[in-house]
Amino acid sequence: MTRNTEAVFLLAGTVLASVGVAMVQFAGGGWLNADVALTFVSFAVAFGALHTSFRVWAPGANPLILPIAIFLAAIGSIEVFRLDPELAALQRWWLVLAGVAGASVVWLLRSSGVAVLRRYRYLFLAAAMVLLLLPLLPDTWPIHGATVNGSRLWVRVDLPFAVRALSFQPGEVAKVFLTVFLASYLADRSEAMSTVSRKVGPFKIPEPRHLGPVIVAAGVAFVVLIYQRDLGASLLLFGLFIGMLYAATGRTFYLGTGIALTAVAGIAASTMFSHVRVRISAWINPFADYTGAGYQTAQGLFAMGSGSLTGSGLGLGRPDLIPAAATDFIFAAVGEELGLTGSIAVITGYAFLVAVGFGIALRSRDRFRKYLAAGLTILLGLQSFLIIAGIVRLFPLTGITLPFMSYGGSSLLASALIAALLGRISHEERT
Amino acid sequence: MPALALNALKILYLILIFLFLWQVAMAIRSHIGTGPSVKRSKGGHELVVLRGDARKGTTVRLRPSGHTIGRSPEADVVIDDPYASEFHARVETHDGGTMVHDLGSTNGTYVNGRRITVPTPAGKGDTVQIGKTILEVR
Repeated sequence: MTRNTEAVFLLAGTVLASVGVAMVQFAGGGWLNADVALTFVSFAVAFGALHTSFRVWAPGANPLILPIAIFLAAIGSIEVFRLDPELAALQRWWLVLAGVAGASVVWLLRSSGVAVLRRYRYLFLAAAMVLLLLPLLPDTWPIHGATVNGSRLWVRVDLPFAVRALSFQPGEVAKVFLTVFLASYLADRSEAMSTVSRKVGPFKIPEPRHLGPVIVAAGVAFVVLIYQRDLGASLLLFGLFIGMLYAATGRTFYLGTGIALTAVAGIAASTMFSHVRVRISAWINPFADYTGAGYQTAQGLFAMGSGSLTGSGLGLGRPDLIPAAATDFIFAAVGEELGLTGSIAVITGYAFLVAVGFGIALRSRDRFRKYLAAGLTILLGLQSFLIIAGIVRLFPLTGITLPFMSYGGSSLLASALIAALLGRISHEERT
Repeated sequence: MPALALNALKILYLILIFLFLWQVAMAIRSHIGTGPSVKRSKGGHELVVLRGDARKGTTVRLRPSGHTIGRSPEADVVIDDPYASEFHARVETHDGGTMVHDLGSTNGTYVNGRRITVPTPAGKGDTVQIGKTILEVR
């Protein structure tokens, strides 16, 4: 498995995306047009940039990250195109931008390595906090927050010369920064945090002061939940903290406390906030309020149900009936048009990605790199799990994007950053 | 395009997807490498924690390349024992036998209750004491 094999995989993935787009057009009664070629070009440029950066500045990088990433991005972009060709045109730009951004990260770290990130951990923490709080800026400012579907997690920049306001979701990138901070923090503290000094009944608990980070984590998650009404991000952040603590210390105590705190916070939130209560009732019985809160979930279920085993075929279903199908509900759209078979392929892709990510973490000798790889993998895995579980009603629906697949520049950018960092980490551990 | 052709295309596309995934899976397999299969021989290839604060009953399968045992999280076998050194001892397997090396620990390594100064063989049933943790070779 070499860089050349990786290139072959990337070419195959690019073809996969273009063929899918062509199939959507056939189904619509059309014939090939520029979209197919543009899809090919955007995938070739984005992944070509990442591939070249690996080749030049990180030749030892794990060659399996990008093939899995392109697979997921291909399926996602086909569905986005199928839902809205205009969005897909934007998505192509986002993809190129994300690929170039990922490649630049590899270039930036070419001589210093990821170790440089460890030194600036408080800068990353500060940046993440600022990014997380950005959406709270008042509406009258030129850079302001925006409320979309009841959650305030968007930032809009009003440009005097542009018709459309430039908008982005800073939380997506903030998650990656927070992971860098946590990996750095834990690389210095994990030893102290894993020593067990006290016993309370049958439980062995660490020093109370080591619990500080867990409490801070819970606090941050709760603040995000209250002020931005973003159930998904708060769960994801909290899960990331707990997962990384567990990965760093190997103490099930942290896992147990985390799960218990999540349950307590969930119950508290559902009694305190109506939007959480609505989510939970829409999860338990989406058909009780079919035209209201349960509509999205119910439409997703109908879509996947009508998709059956092999789906309706690309471009032949009606995934456009699902609200937010191109972003949060992209998995339901895949389920409708490619059926259970396609959905399983997508889940397999994420499983592979997580396996490769943890493989990199396990093989790392340096603690910071180990925790960073583990953290980024937890982030990817947890995020995909939460949203897919929400769509298939395994878990209350949390409005977060599916990494690599959903429409959205911020989400793609964050995913590309993660891929670039994982590649760089695996390169450093090889040499 | 007729529905039949579209249906066939759909199936073909799904096959294509799984072919891609299959190749990725094969690549992951070859990347990880199956490695030489480790065969279990007569015994003396496992360390079991008999007594100690934490990880009681933990079984460590000895591998030919050896293990370091100690309090440091970097050690191959980590024991939570205030009397153990960061890197306390090293256990290696040579031709079916197990050798215990003391790595200059503060409180010493004991094989069958005797403090060792040179690499000492330990067979099946022998105990190795590190700090307050007692391990048995099985």
